[in-house]
Amino acid sequence: MFNEMKFILNFILLFFVLLKPLEVFAEEEILLGLIPEQNIFKQMDRYKPLAAYLSEKAGVNVRLTILSRYGDIVERFISRGLDGAFFDSLTGMMAITRLGVEPAARHTNPDGKATVRSYIFVRADSKINSVKDMKGKKVAFVDRATATGYLFAIAFLRENGVSDIDRYFNEYYFTGSHDSAIYAVLDNRADIGSAQDTIFNMLASRDITIKKELRVIAQSEELPETTLCLRKGIPSQIKKRLTGILLGMNEDPAGREILKKFGALKFVEAEVKDFNPVFSLARRAQINIREYKGTR
Amino acid sequence: MKKKIILSLFFLFLLFTLGAIMTMFYILRVTTRLDTLITLHQVEILRQDLVINVQTVQSHLYTLGTSFGKELDVIVENVATLDNAVQKCSGCHHSPEITEKIKTIKDLTEQYKEALSTFITTTAGKERVERLQIVAANIGTMILTKTQEMALIANQRLNEKTIAAIRDVSSSRIILIVTLLLCFFIALAIAASLTRGVTEPVSELLKATRKIKTGELGYTTSYVGKDEFKELLESFNDMSITLNENNKKIIQHLVRLSGLYRITLSFHAITNVEDIYREVSYGIAELVDIEQGGVMLLDKDNELFTHRSPAFGLAPEQIARIKIPRENFIDICRSANRRPLMVNDNAASLPLGEIDRGLNVKNIMLIWIRQKGELIGAIRAANKKSGDFSEEDARILGILANNISVALENAKLYENLRKQMAELKETQEQLVQAAKLAAIGELASNIAHEINNPLTSILGYSELIKEEKDINNIMRDIEVIEKESLRARDIVHQLLEFSRKRPLEIKEIRINDIMSEVLALTAVPLKDSSIKISKSYEDVPVIEGDANQLKQVFLNIINNAIFAMQDGGSLGIATRRGRDDNIYIEISDTGKGIPQEILQRIFEPFFTTKQEKGTGLGLSISYKIIQSHNGRIDVESEEGRGTKFTVVLPVGVK
Repeated sequence: MFNEMKFILNFILLFFVLLKPLEVFAEEEILLGLIPEQNIFKQMDRYKPLAAYLSEKAGVNVRLTILSRYGDIVERFISRGLDGAFFDSLTGMMAITRLGVEPAARHTNPDGKATVRSYIFVRADSKINSVKDMKGKKVAFVDRATATGYLFAIAFLRENGVSDIDRYFNEYYFTGSHDSAIYAVLDNRADIGSAQDTIFNMLASRDITIKKELRVIAQSEELPETTLCLRKGIPSQIKKRLTGILLGMNEDPAGREILKKFGALKFVEAEVKDFNPVFSLARRAQINIREYKGTR
Repeated sequence: MKKKIILSLFFLFLLFTLGAIMTMFYILRVTTRLDTLITLHQVEILRQDLVINVQTVQSHLYTLGTSFGKELDVIVENVATLDNAVQKCSGCHHSPEITEKIKTIKDLTEQYKEALSTFITTTAGKERVERLQIVAANIGTMILTKTQEMALIANQRLNEKTIAAIRDVSSSRIILIVTLLLCFFIALAIAASLTRGVTEPVSELLKATRKIKTGELGYTTSYVGKDEFKELLESFNDMSITLNENNKKIIQHLVRLSGLYRITLSFHAITNVEDIYREVSYGIAELVDIEQGGVMLLDKDNELFTHRSPAFGLAPEQIARIKIPRENFIDICRSANRRPLMVNDNAASLPLGEIDRGLNVKNIMLIWIRQKGELIGAIRAANKKSGDFSEEDARILGILANNISVALENAKLYENLRKQMAELKETQEQLVQAAKLAAIGELASNIAHEINNPLTSILGYSELIKEEKDINNIMRDIEVIEKESLRARDIVHQLLEFSRKRPLEIKEIRINDIMSEVLALTAVPLKDSSIKISKSYEDVPVIEGDANQLKQVFLNIINNAIFAMQDGGSLGIATRRGRDDNIYIEISDTGKGIPQEILQRIFEPFFTTKQEKGTGLGLSISYKIIQSHNGRIDVESEEGRGTKFTVVLPVGVK
């Protein structure tokens, strides 16, 4: 009799223990971080409809938080208690390596590719055509923790004989966002810039002066597009649900409308191996990803 | 009134429409002003929100990265709110000056966002970062400055609008109050006028109807208006007058009908024609108010229609002069198409022969009297006191004429009946006498024997006297002769007494004595028969009746009983008083009885079973005698066993 009661009590206890994670997500929310790919306000505006769609479909309040800088993204991921974040290829790689986050999905661009490239650009009227012409110039990177806004440029510079950028350039600084880097060159606040092609092309399509007055002098190989990575501890059913909703968006009229505004065709499944080109690029830049913090 | 009501309602409608339009106009004007004010205040709130948001963002800008700094999300949120405020501002309609400023602020906001984002996300040397911060802060300051400039303009406009709105509200309030009061008082005046216009004639009407209700027919109102109510009240007055006239006519008619009824009612009790003539004469004088009136009837012997006496307003010699030959009279009736003849003008021109000669007739009416379709006379009414004869007079006298016809017929029938009744009475008396004589005849043989005995004794003793010498014996024989003679005389006297024709003599009688006397009359045949008599007399009360006639009844019944028991039997005579206070005389025999088929006929005159020995009148006469005493005779009979006659007489017959 006593054993039977003990068994029943244990069973009830086990039931509540198993139920606990679900309750947490049901009662609380999912907090997703955004990297400042572009103007943080525009970035927030771009992702808000997507978060609202996920909230409605998943039945969980999906909230967004902007991460001010790429560099401290891993620390902030922990300190803010994020459940996931839309990482670019380098921060994604860093988070996978150091935090063990799991890639869930990434979007494809209007050209159908789920990849991006890094551009190194100068003003069209600039006399800079090669790395040699860059010496003593002012450079605007995006952030040390971006592949398209920094890592490729470093690899490119190293491959062209520049090992110390502090000495080679008159000044370089980090705008924190791709569009800021683009506008810095456009506005003559920098001579050379490095930014992601999708941002560059998007701004160029809106602002004809970018197309006219900027000239791309180098571009990287294809790197994975911004990817939603979720922390390890998220219950698999939540992860599956979120991933499922994102992957099925293009089949839902409302989802398609949001994708259109977002500037994407659809979401595709993301895997760790998608980040292999970033490893390759890091090696070319002579950066050890496992130790790299993205800050000076 | 209808026109007045329609005009009033139309005027009220116009008044209220005008009032409503004015009210709506002023409410709309005021609310528009207030809307503008509210909008301006909302704009001011938006502006203040904008300022607060810019100031908040500015403060965050300076504290970002310090221990006082807010989280980036808060800053982003504040900037989003700032952006919304600017979007709202630009969404409103403004003057070109304000619109330009808002556009500037909007552009500055975009620049501010860009600068803020750059400042927040840029990682560079301290100098560059500070420069970026200053750039952003400067843009923020510019937004504040522009907002303040806009606020100055907006406040000036707000003040102007507020003053205008307050002025409008104040003037609208006065105008609305004046309009409402004006509408109210005008409506009140119209309502009062309409109410007075309706209630005054209605009150008049009500008063008039109450007067009429209380019997004041003919009452008229004195309303002097010129509207439909005047027509209504005039119609009402006409109705009241008509009602009064009709009422008078009805009353007059009722009086006439009452008179007619009284006259015709009297016809039921009148049995001689003179009385009818008198009632009719005076009746028509009363009904149609005439100077001369009476009845003319056909005298068949002389073929003349003559005026019958007595008549109203005509002396016997005048009545005697009114006679018209039958043919002339019928011609007059035909000339009037058999309808009542009314001559109100030039009555003397009528072809009435000598009828009205010297009677001073001014107008005349003849109402024909018919009997079984034949013209037998006329009601003659002449010289109506109040105007001409009318159809109404003709109708009333027409009814009377019909009743006269019936009354004359009744009087004639009554006269005939009276004659026939007299004849019948005489016949009945003759029959009773005949029956009585028949009964006497029947008795005679029996009585002869009874008389024969004393006569035999007298003759015997006469013979003895002749031979007797002794005076004592002679005297004794003479006494016997005298006694026997007296006895014979009594018998004859009784017989004479019974057979005498006498009227009904009602006096107090004792029924038991009557029965004894009847039995004495039947003693002889009973003595010779083998009939036993049983008598049972109760002490019955004295009754009133004709002893002689009752004796005749009982004698008849007992004779029949004796006849029925020729081979002997038992005769029962009983008297008793019943529970109904009547006296019951039962005479029963044990004779051969009466067959059922003839039991119903035994009281029919001349019905007999005695062949030549009976007249068939005995029981018939007996039945009538008992009926005349308000009594009855019951018979029970069973063939071979006997018959019982029960004579029931009431106590106290008058």
